[in-house]
Amino acid sequence: MRALAAASWLMFVTSLPRLLRSRRVLLVLLLALVPALLAWVTTKISSRPEPVEFAVNGGWLLLVQVVTPLASLILGSAAVAEEVEDRTLTYLYTRPMPRAALLLGRWAAIALVLLALLALSTWLFLVAASGARGGGPEIGADVARPLASAVLAGGLAYSALAAALGAFVKNPIVVGLGYAFAVEGFLANLPGRNQLLTVQHYLRSLIVADGSKTWADVEGFVGAGFVHGTTATFTLTAIVVASLVLGSLRVTRREFVMTS
Amino acid sequence: MTLAVEARDLGRWYGDVVGVSDVSLSIEGGIVGLLGANGAGKSTFLKLLVGELRPSRGSIRVLGEEPFANARLYRRLGFAPQQDALWGDMTARETLEFLLRVSGSTKTDARRLAVRALERVKLVEAADRRVAGFSKGMRQRVRIAQAIAHSPEFVVLDEPLNGLDPLARRDTLDLLRELGAGGTHVLVSSHVLHEVEELTRTIVLLHRGRVLALGSSPEIRALLDRRPRRVAIHARDPRRLARALLDLDGVTAVRLGENGLLDVETSRLEELQARLPAIAAEQRAGVRGLSVSDASLDALFDDLVGGLR
Repeated sequence: MRALAAASWLMFVTSLPRLLRSRRVLLVLLLALVPALLAWVTTKISSRPEPVEFAVNGGWLLLVQVVTPLASLILGSAAVAEEVEDRTLTYLYTRPMPRAALLLGRWAAIALVLLALLALSTWLFLVAASGARGGGPEIGADVARPLASAVLAGGLAYSALAAALGAFVKNPIVVGLGYAFAVEGFLANLPGRNQLLTVQHYLRSLIVADGSKTWADVEGFVGAGFVHGTTATFTLTAIVVASLVLGSLRVTRREFVMTS
Repeated sequence: MTLAVEARDLGRWYGDVVGVSDVSLSIEGGIVGLLGANGAGKSTFLKLLVGELRPSRGSIRVLGEEPFANARLYRRLGFAPQQDALWGDMTARETLEFLLRVSGSTKTDARRLAVRALERVKLVEAADRRVAGFSKGMRQRVRIAQAIAHSPEFVVLDEPLNGLDPLARRDTLDLLRELGAGGTHVLVSSHVLHEVEELTRTIVLLHRGRVLALGSSPEIRALLDRRPRRVAIHARDPRRLARALLDLDGVTAVRLGENGLLDVETSRLEELQARLPAIAAEQRAGVRGLSVSDASLDALFDDLVGGLR
């Protein structure tokens, strides 16, 4: 275990500078700017949206439901799948380190960069939304804190899922997009306990658990039907841990056939 | 003594496709050439050897260890794959330092070892250029450099001379000889016989996933010499030359081709080569060129296994 931790740390340290220079990070940076850009354009062309209402509705729709899963998939899937796709995995697989360190170290680097970008995206969005001219109260911590926690927790969960997917399937982005937007989108709108199978449900539950009256009033996130905050946090943590453990086992045991 | 490689009934399939089959061999060490035509199973064998793949049946041990995902073995092993894949956004120096760092070297050691390896493959001047802008030969040298950078006991190189210009090729052969002389085991795959002969006399011949022969290059050559060889001769007057060659001992067939081409089959190649100049002069046939068509391993294998098909 100590060898795995040491190798994962090395992988993290060596991957971080490479990741920061990668085109994927540039792509996610551009994606992260989209909600703020849309908010800014909306506030310029329309005088109707109120800052708080706009921040809650737009934040949930753009940040939590679109940007977070998409950015997480783009970066998370790079952990293993990118090396397979680029056929560079051979070099890493013939190094004296546990193969799981590749997934764990790279995911840690990815998660750090992803969270920074998502935090930036959230902050820029809220700044842009605060320029809405519809009147009403200003955007405060009761709006920003639940939104930021959902975005960051979602980033961790989706990126871990994407990293693990990369160890199992050839096209993790495609499969991940299918899950995040088709399966989750479908299940999240079904009544009953089906929602328990979605990450989005636990992100909503986190917001509800924050006790923000604004979110309850605007987005309708109120107690009934949502899990307790501790349960949501535990479940999201379990998703991250289970994804990384399963992904690590798969990476350790799987053969990746690189063609010439 | 621990063998460098020991394979027993080794087999590997990709679905219905045979990669290697029933390979049993022992390689003590030194410099060894793994020869085979394209598709013979060389790369599959090497991937089994470095633990990138698991055997479908049988077993393989490298330096006494099972190779699949064996971190302990990878400290002692260097591998340059055939696939032309590197991190294009990194420089040659960064590539080596990165791989040395994930191998456990300190930053300082990684820097020092990377420079030393780049010097050995004569790539120091391009060390800080991005690999994406490298020629095929330069990328090949980066692949070799990363395989030797940590001074492994055993270096495995899959077609390392592919894409190299003559100068780089000569330098690489010198480097591999130097490694061998220094006690490093070197296993080099190639589909070109003379390339391997320049490097070593110990050759493993693979054909269609099986070991066809394991021995010294003269033994392999002797196998070849027992088979008729085909020689292509370009002449101004091939008909006159053909009549004269048919009288020569060992010549079993002569076929006229287009544009002055003469296709000669002989079981005594050396005699043909020795007597051809005199015959050509006598017949005023105007010989413009001669090539032995089995210079490549494809033809060698065709000769060796022709009867087995």
